[in-house]
Amino acid sequence: MRDFIVEFSKKFTTAIEELPREEIAKALNVLQGAYENDGRVYVFGNGGSWGIAGHWVTDFNKTIFSNHLEKHKHRFVVSRIPASEEELTAWANDVGYDMVFAGPLDNVLEDGDVVIAISSSGNSTNIIKAVEVAKKHKVPVIGLSGFDASNKLNQLADIKIHVPTPKGEYEVVESTHDTVMHLMTKYFKSYFDHLAETDK
Amino acid sequence: MIVVRAPLRISFVGGGTDIGDFYRRHPGRVISTAIDKYVYVVINRTPLIPKVSARYSVSETVNKPDELQHTRIKAALLDLGIGRGIEIGSFASLPAKTGLGSSSSFSVALMKGLHAFNGRKLDKGEAAEEASRLEIELLGEPIGKQDQYASAFGGFNVIQFNPNESVDVNPVLLDYKKRLGLENSILLFFTGITRAASSVLTEQKSNIDKKMDTLKQMAESVHEFEKKLLAGDFKGLGEMLHQAWLRKKSLASNVSNSAIDDFYGAGMDSGAWGGKILGAGGGGCVMLLVPEEKKPAVREAMKKVAISRNLEEFREIPVKFVQSGAEIVFNGDENR
Repeated sequence: MRDFIVEFSKKFTTAIEELPREEIAKALNVLQGAYENDGRVYVFGNGGSWGIAGHWVTDFNKTIFSNHLEKHKHRFVVSRIPASEEELTAWANDVGYDMVFAGPLDNVLEDGDVVIAISSSGNSTNIIKAVEVAKKHKVPVIGLSGFDASNKLNQLADIKIHVPTPKGEYEVVESTHDTVMHLMTKYFKSYFDHLAETDK
Repeated sequence: MIVVRAPLRISFVGGGTDIGDFYRRHPGRVISTAIDKYVYVVINRTPLIPKVSARYSVSETVNKPDELQHTRIKAALLDLGIGRGIEIGSFASLPAKTGLGSSSSFSVALMKGLHAFNGRKLDKGEAAEEASRLEIELLGEPIGKQDQYASAFGGFNVIQFNPNESVDVNPVLLDYKKRLGLENSILLFFTGITRAASSVLTEQKSNIDKKMDTLKQMAESVHEFEKKLLAGDFKGLGEMLHQAWLRKKSLASNVSNSAIDDFYGAGMDSGAWGGKILGAGGGGCVMLLVPEEKKPAVREAMKKVAISRNLEEFREIPVKFVQSGAEIVFNGDENR
């Protein structure tokens, strides 16, 4: 048992050490831009990545500002799409599962928005379709992927947050994506705390 | 109706190396940031009013685009094949000709908006190139491309202009502490003197052969500026700006004049680390990097110069850096 735990921990530690720091910094800049200009941020993924997307929404919309909720009237506007099971099943049933993200995204994207696409394999068809919609709207895409760097999401994304692992290492990739989301949460939380505490 | 907003910019070093006569021989490079002052362009489709209207400091209404007085709007409409049934207005946070790149911000917003009017979305690079094409190719203005790129992209960037006409925009990855640190060190003053960039740049352009070495040095110094910036060495940045300002003055006789020298000298004498004139020179804004404790003295000294020279438009302009570039903030047009 102990060996298994040590081995998993090692894989995760390696992934964290090899985080693409420049790309994460670029993503922070792009998200800062969306915040400044009231652009909206749309996040999505399948399965565990859908969970990360949901966590992203709560951390960016609320946790980041938690220490000074009263002072920060201007907040991030982050949404997971589709917004409801009704919308998801309507697209899946009526149009096809490939369109569950692309369909809702095409309805809402505007200049100044940002898209965060999360896919461990980077090859899920419904994720790629949605990224193509973002490209059509000329909206920047932050792509969180894993496994091989040649995956489609990593090729298409403007900002490539790729966690290199052997194929199928979902747990390491998803845990690392979660960490990237928390790193960004912590960065903006420190930033907004600093602004509140220095009265900017 | 379509509303487009494009930020102004502060350029730090490398200005002048973004002109084709230079970068076609040797890569040009500038480092600049977008700021929270904007130009807005509003475009309204008027199918029931078959006229062309342009509303800026004057209001023009004509029957077709080639009758317009406003050269940029006229050239853009003719180039994009847009005829009657349109009105275009512009609004800004600051007056024109302050040296903060507003004229190219206007072009970026205009081209982005007119393409949207035609049902086409432009990404940042396309918006910058379209604005450059309008100003440099269609209108033959003797200017570079740094302002169009700074406004279209937004953020703090090193922008490199390559001999093959491609442009690389590399964001400077500053954390918020350093970004706010630099913001806090900057004092920006509008001198109250306005000038058109093209008059200074015409002389600068004709001098390019003589000035190749100076320009190469300026393009190179961008790397050093970025390094000091990432290290949070604001004093070092001020000193670099001072050196660059001295070099720039050697480029064209009308880059400075006695009023500008008075402002700059007063700032330096009151404890500024260094600074520069924003824009092509001869007027516009003086930017100084100043240690916190010297700010009151610098502000006081600058005011005195303005009063002694009767510059009633003189004022301090508070600035914040912004990440976002030119953007369509509203599109209610039928063709979206």
